[in-house]
Amino acid sequence: MEESNMEAKIVVTDLTKTFRLSKKQQRIERTTESVKVAVDHLSFEAYQGEIFGLLGPNGAGKTTTLRCISTLIKADSGDIYVDGHGVRNEETEIRKRIGFLTSDLKLEEFFTPNYLFDYFARLHSVDPETAAARKADLFGKFGIDRFAEVKVGELSTGMRQKVQIALALIHDPGVIVFDEPTNGLDILTAKVVTDYLRELRDAGKAIIISTHIFSLVEKICDRVGIIVNGKLKWCKPLADVKASGTDLEQLFFDLVAEESREDSR
Amino acid sequence: MNAIWTIFKKEWDRVIKDKRLVLSVMLLPGLMIFLIYSIMGNVISDFTAQEPGQVAIVNPSAGFTALYSTPVWGEDENGDPVIVFEEKADVIAISVAEAQTYRDRIDAGDWDLLIVFPENLEADLAPGYQANIEVYHNQNETQSATVQSRFSGYLTVYAELLRQTVYGETDVLMLQTDSVEYDDEKAMGMMMSTLLPMLVVMFLFSGAMSIGPESIAGEKERGTMATLLIMPVKRSEIALGKVLSLSVLALISALSSFLGIISSLPKMMGMEVSQVLAIYDFADLALMLVLLFSTVFVIVGLVAVVSAFSKSLKEAGTLIMPLYLITIVIGITSMFSEGAVSGWWFYLLPMYNTVQSLTAILLSDSLAPWYVLITVAANLAVTAGLVYLLTRMFHSEKIMFAK
Repeated sequence: MEESNMEAKIVVTDLTKTFRLSKKQQRIERTTESVKVAVDHLSFEAYQGEIFGLLGPNGAGKTTTLRCISTLIKADSGDIYVDGHGVRNEETEIRKRIGFLTSDLKLEEFFTPNYLFDYFARLHSVDPETAAARKADLFGKFGIDRFAEVKVGELSTGMRQKVQIALALIHDPGVIVFDEPTNGLDILTAKVVTDYLRELRDAGKAIIISTHIFSLVEKICDRVGIIVNGKLKWCKPLADVKASGTDLEQLFFDLVAEESREDSR
Repeated sequence: MNAIWTIFKKEWDRVIKDKRLVLSVMLLPGLMIFLIYSIMGNVISDFTAQEPGQVAIVNPSAGFTALYSTPVWGEDENGDPVIVFEEKADVIAISVAEAQTYRDRIDAGDWDLLIVFPENLEADLAPGYQANIEVYHNQNETQSATVQSRFSGYLTVYAELLRQTVYGETDVLMLQTDSVEYDDEKAMGMMMSTLLPMLVVMFLFSGAMSIGPESIAGEKERGTMATLLIMPVKRSEIALGKVLSLSVLALISALSSFLGIISSLPKMMGMEVSQVLAIYDFADLALMLVLLFSTVFVIVGLVAVVSAFSKSLKEAGTLIMPLYLITIVIGITSMFSEGAVSGWWFYLLPMYNTVQSLTAILLSDSLAPWYVLITVAANLAVTAGLVYLLTRMFHSEKIMFAK
């Protein structure tokens, strides 16, 4: 295997995460069970210099998995290692090494990109000179410079997304976790983002993205993991999909159908 | 340490750089109190300093007139100094025939008092002489009743005077009143100690209430808290940074209210700011400041914990309200107590200890420094507990990501 030559930056082993459902949530989900299994014994790895895509329908457990990796929430059981550090007792070490992007993380609308960059740089203990250099680089790359002094609340969705990316990369993390990277973006902005992800991969970062968009996976991912109902149904290089004589979309629907048969049994 | 300062600075900037927040947190409280109290003061002084009263007298005699008039230096027609009597009330002389008109006017509430003397009272005065004097007023009118009671006093004195004229010396009782000289400072301290502790805890609380929920429940609701939680800083540093900055801001807000009170005192109480400040020396003020700072920590800690527990800004506001009301009730206790309580254990109870310590300082109680010491120690311990609780809450995904 060619993968074994590369260093596994993220190792997820037997990850399980459940949520307690309130009576109201039970009614919405049309279930009588008080516990929902969001992630069900998930195991996978992501390597340095690759983009790993987690593909799945809404509610499959993609975001929950990414949140567990980025230490925002805790797993019920199983282990996650990021760059050799475990989520159980080295949260801070992981946070230093990871850049996490998700629509759940918002920026304070009152402040300007410039202010927030300096603020988060200080929280990441990046020294002022390095921070200034990175700011110039990232703001230039995403065209934020012109909006550096405009309050986040007054920025367009696309520009806000770009600011988020810049802020997530302040500390030059080795691992990048990106939840739905192109959601809500126009095609021009989406292209800037996907191009940049490729650039980061080529620079040797380990990148995990989650998405439900097949074309995005086909365009940028090196390997893909398909999650249905919290379970990893498939996890192979993208090239293997084509080699198996089917396409990603067909494979996906087959897996969903298979899962629903197993589930109803 | 670095992270605490970074978070402190951001929370500070959030308020300081927002003109609307600066206005509502720092300027408005003081300004509103100044305006409200000044208006209240004006109304009260208007109420007490109404016109001297309108009095109609039938057959007024010189001896009686002299009683209710104040002798002052005036000038006669040649410009020489002479004693003249200045009337305190708007008194007019009327004829017997007009009396009925004034009775009706008093009934209607547009006149205050009617006094009817018999004709030639002083001239007819002789042993055995008895005269009826009619005093007519309207009990339903405050002004009329006030004027009546003042003039009854004059009439009593006048009766005494007439008796003396007829019978000579009649005084059996020689009244000598003597008392300890009125101590302005003590009276002021007493008044301040009943009012101020309640106002101070109220102001501190409302200061904390105006920014605390926004900074924690608001951030949670808007999803900016999650951004902070994935930073490589300890949750305790986040908690401390927020509590410290909110405390300083709440204290500034409270000081604004305090300045509002101090500057409205001249109108409210008819005394000067310097008079008030002169009662307390630097040590008293320093004690008060230390006391307030330790109290604001407790209040901000409470507000922060409730805010962290709340799912939204609105819920935080609802949950904090009962705490605010309890605080006011605790503040009111100072109004009914004679001085500060003396058991040291009372000073372990947050909020109550502040009110009592403040009372002790304002009354120049010699034990005040000790009370403050116990209070500050207790408050810091409670604050540490609250910050610990807040840290635990920041760690709990159930609380931080509740939907």
